[in-house]
Amino acid sequence: MRRRTFFGFVKSKLRYTTVDETLPEPVAVAPSERVTLFFDQPYIPGEKLSLHPGDPVKKGERLSLTKDAGGYALAPKSGRIENISGFLGIGGRRFTTVTLAIDDEAHQTLDEGFKSVYQSPSLKNAREFLAGLPGKPNLEVFFNPQRPVKSIVVLGVDSDLVGVTNQYFVNNAIVAIKTGIDTLRQISGIHEVILVVPHYLFKVAGAAGATIKTVDSAYPSAHPELIMRYILSEQSTPDVEPPSDDGVAVFTAEAVVAIGSAYKTGFLPLEKIVCFVSKDETRRLISVPIGTPVKDIAEAFHEPIGEGDRVIFGGPMTGVSVYSDNHPVLADTNTIMIQDRRRIPEVRDNPCTNCGACVRVCPVNVPVNMLIRFLQAGRYEEAVSQCDLNCCIECGFCSYVCEARIPIFQYIHLAKLTLAGMNPVEKNNG
Amino acid sequence: MDSTIKLTVSHAPFWHNGSGISQKSYNILLACLLAVIPGIYRYGYPALGAVTLSIGSAVLWEFLMNLATRRPVSIGDGNAAVIGMLLAMMLPAVVPWWVVVIGSFIAVVIGKQIYGGIGGNPFNPVAVAMAILMLSWKNFLDFNTALVGYGFAFNPVDPLVLAKSFGPAAVKDFKLGDLLMGRQVGGIGSSFGLGLIIGGIYLMIRGFIRWEIVLSFLVGIFASALCFYLYNPNVYASPGFHLLTGYSLIGAFLLATEDSSSPVHFLPMIIYGCLGGMLTVLIRNIGSHVDGVVFAVLIINILNPLLDKIRPKALGKVAHHA
Ligand code: SF4
Ligand code: SF4
Repeated sequence: MRRRTFFGFVKSKLRYTTVDETLPEPVAVAPSERVTLFFDQPYIPGEKLSLHPGDPVKKGERLSLTKDAGGYALAPKSGRIENISGFLGIGGRRFTTVTLAIDDEAHQTLDEGFKSVYQSPSLKNAREFLAGLPGKPNLEVFFNPQRPVKSIVVLGVDSDLVGVTNQYFVNNAIVAIKTGIDTLRQISGIHEVILVVPHYLFKVAGAAGATIKTVDSAYPSAHPELIMRYILSEQSTPDVEPPSDDGVAVFTAEAVVAIGSAYKTGFLPLEKIVCFVSKDETRRLISVPIGTPVKDIAEAFHEPIGEGDRVIFGGPMTGVSVYSDNHPVLADTNTIMIQDRRRIPEVRDNPCTNCGACVRVCPVNVPVNMLIRFLQAGRYEEAVSQCDLNCCIECGFCSYVCEARIPIFQYIHLAKLTLAGMNPVEKNNG
Repeated sequence: MDSTIKLTVSHAPFWHNGSGISQKSYNILLACLLAVIPGIYRYGYPALGAVTLSIGSAVLWEFLMNLATRRPVSIGDGNAAVIGMLLAMMLPAVVPWWVVVIGSFIAVVIGKQIYGGIGGNPFNPVAVAMAILMLSWKNFLDFNTALVGYGFAFNPVDPLVLAKSFGPAAVKDFKLGDLLMGRQVGGIGSSFGLGLIIGGIYLMIRGFIRWEIVLSFLVGIFASALCFYLYNPNVYASPGFHLLTGYSLIGAFLLATEDSSSPVHFLPMIIYGCLGGMLTVLIRNIGSHVDGVVFAVLIINILNPLLDKIRPKALGKVAHHA
C-alpha cells in the first residue's frame, strides 16, 4: 500500500525507483540444493523427451526438452535432473519445469560447448547458446526474413516500479554495455543502436557509443510499449505512415551486458541481478543464479515467508504473484517482493463510482470508467469497439488508483485472454 | 514445484494508492461542516435537528434498500451520509420533519438506489430530491416564509427574491462581504459562502472533487451574469451577487461535482460546468424560478453522457494484442 498524494489535483505521480536508492553492489546469493528451469512448452505426461530424471548436467549446458525444440535453457549449475513436470502459469499458459539437484560448489563441472565457438562470434552461435542468458535476449528476431531488423533498441530502464536491474548496469557497468553493443553490432551488422535511459543517467549513458534517448521518471513512461511508440513516432514521418515496430530488435541492458561478457570471456554469465524487497520494504540488490528458488533467497536474508503472504515476481504494478515458495528466478525476473499478508490492499467488486481517477492516469487515454462497465458485464466485444480495450498497454495504473478498489487490471487481462482465445487468427486487426 | 506453505495469489497491481469511497465521503462531510456549523450557530436547534434527521434518515433509507435489494450493506462508504448532509444544507432550518424524511427518501431511493446504487445514478440524487420538494411543497422551502420567526440583524428577505421582484436597487444594501459571511437568509449550509469556498478548495486540492467542473461552473455564472449586467444594470444584478447568493456555491462545489452524474474528461468537464453556470443565471434572470441551480444541475446531468463522448483519441489504435 502506498499513500495517496495530498495534492490529488496534480495528476497522481508514481516515481520509478532510481538505482542510487538501493545498495550499490549486489550481494551474491546461491541456491541451496536445487534449481528449477522453465521451458515455454506444455508438459505432456508420457511424451518422449530428450531429458530424463537422473541425467547428469554440466554448468552452462544447453538443455532442450525435445531434439527439434527451438527453446532451450542453460543449466546454471551442474548436477542431476531430479524431476520434470508441468506448470500452469498466469492466464492458463502451460510450461514444463525441470528441476536439477545441484552438485556442491567444489564439484561443479563446466560445459565446453560455448567455449569452442566464442572466438568467432556470429548470430548463429549467439542463437544457439545465448538465448538463456540473464535478461532473456530474443535472438530469433534476426532470423525472420519477412521482418529484417534495421535498428536495435537497448533498454537501460526498468519497466515496473522498484526494479533497478537495467539502471544498475547503465550506472555501474556502462563499459560492459558498450562491449555488448559493439558485439551486437559486429554479429548483426546493424549499426543503428538506441540506448534508452532515465534522465538522471543521461550523462553516464553517453559512454555507450549509441544514440541516447531518455524517458521521464514518472510511471509508466519506461513501459517498453510506450518507449517504442515514442521512439518510432520520432523516426517515422507523422501522418504519412503509422509507426510500426517492424525492424526493431529490443534488448535489455542486462542481456546486452551478458552477451558482451560471454563473447569476451568464453564463459556464460548465468547470474541474474534481482531487486529483492522484504516485507518491511527494505530493498536489496542481489546476484543470483537463474533457477534459484525464492525460498533460498528469503532464507539468505532471514526473511520468513508465512501462510497467506504474497510472493511477487516482477514488480508491484505488473508482476505475478506466485503460488509456491519454490518458484525459481527466471531469466527475466528483475524484482522479487515479499508482501506481508496484513499489508495486502483489499480489492472489492464494487461498482465504479465514476470518479475518473483511472482516466486521468491512463497513459494511452483509454476511457477506463466506461470500459470497466462493459467488462464487469462481460460485454467484451463492446469493450473493444467502444472503449479501446486493445489500446491498453497493461500498465496496471488504473487499478492502482481506483477508489472503488475494482480489480480493473484483472478484468482487462481476462477480457483480452478470452478474446484472444475466441479469434486467435485475428492478429493486427485491433 | 510444490509449495511448503499456502501463499496468497492474486492479480497485479499489488500496491494501491490507498484511496477509497469512504475516505472521500468523510472528507466531503468534513468540508461541509465548515458551512453547516455557522448555519447551526445562526439558526439554532431546528437546524441541528434538520441536519441530523436528514443524515440519519438518508443512511436508514440506504440500509433498508440494501436489505430490500439483497445487496451488501453499503452505508459504511459514507455516500448516503453525504447525500443526507447536502440535502440538509439546502433546506431552511425550520422545515417540517416529514419534508426532510421525504427528501432523503427521494434522494437515496429514487435518486440513487433504483439505478443500482453508487455510480449508477444519471442525476445528482440531491438535486432530484430538491427539485421534487421545490415543486411539491414550495411554501415549506421558501426561505422568506420558513424563516419568518427569526429576528436577524440583516434584511430577512431572500436576496434573490428581492432582486428578481424589484431589481438590483432593492438589494444594494447587501454588501458582497456580508453575503460571503452568510448575512442573508438561505439554506442551513448554503448561505455561508466563506465556509463553502474554503471547504471546496480543500476538496479540490485533495482531488476529491474535480476542480475543472467547479471553476467552469463559477465562470459560467460569472460570465453570463456579467453579460446581463452590462446589458442592463438597472434590471439585472451584478455577477458577484449571483455568485454569492442562493445555491450558487453549494451547486458549483458540491452538486455539479457529484461523480456519477458528471463527466470525467477535461473538455466535457469544462463544457458541463460552463453550461451549468449559464443555465443557472438564465433561469434566475429570465425564467420563472427564483433560483436556477437545482434545475441547471439536472439539465447538465442529462447532457453528461453525451458530453463525455468527447474524449481524446486513445493512443495506438492499431494495437497488436488482439
Ligand atoms: S492498464 Fe489501465 S491505465 Fe494502463 S493502459 Fe490499460 S487501461 Fe490504461
Ligand atoms: S478509478 Fe475506479 S471508481 Fe474511479 S472511475 Fe475508474 S473504475 Fe470507476
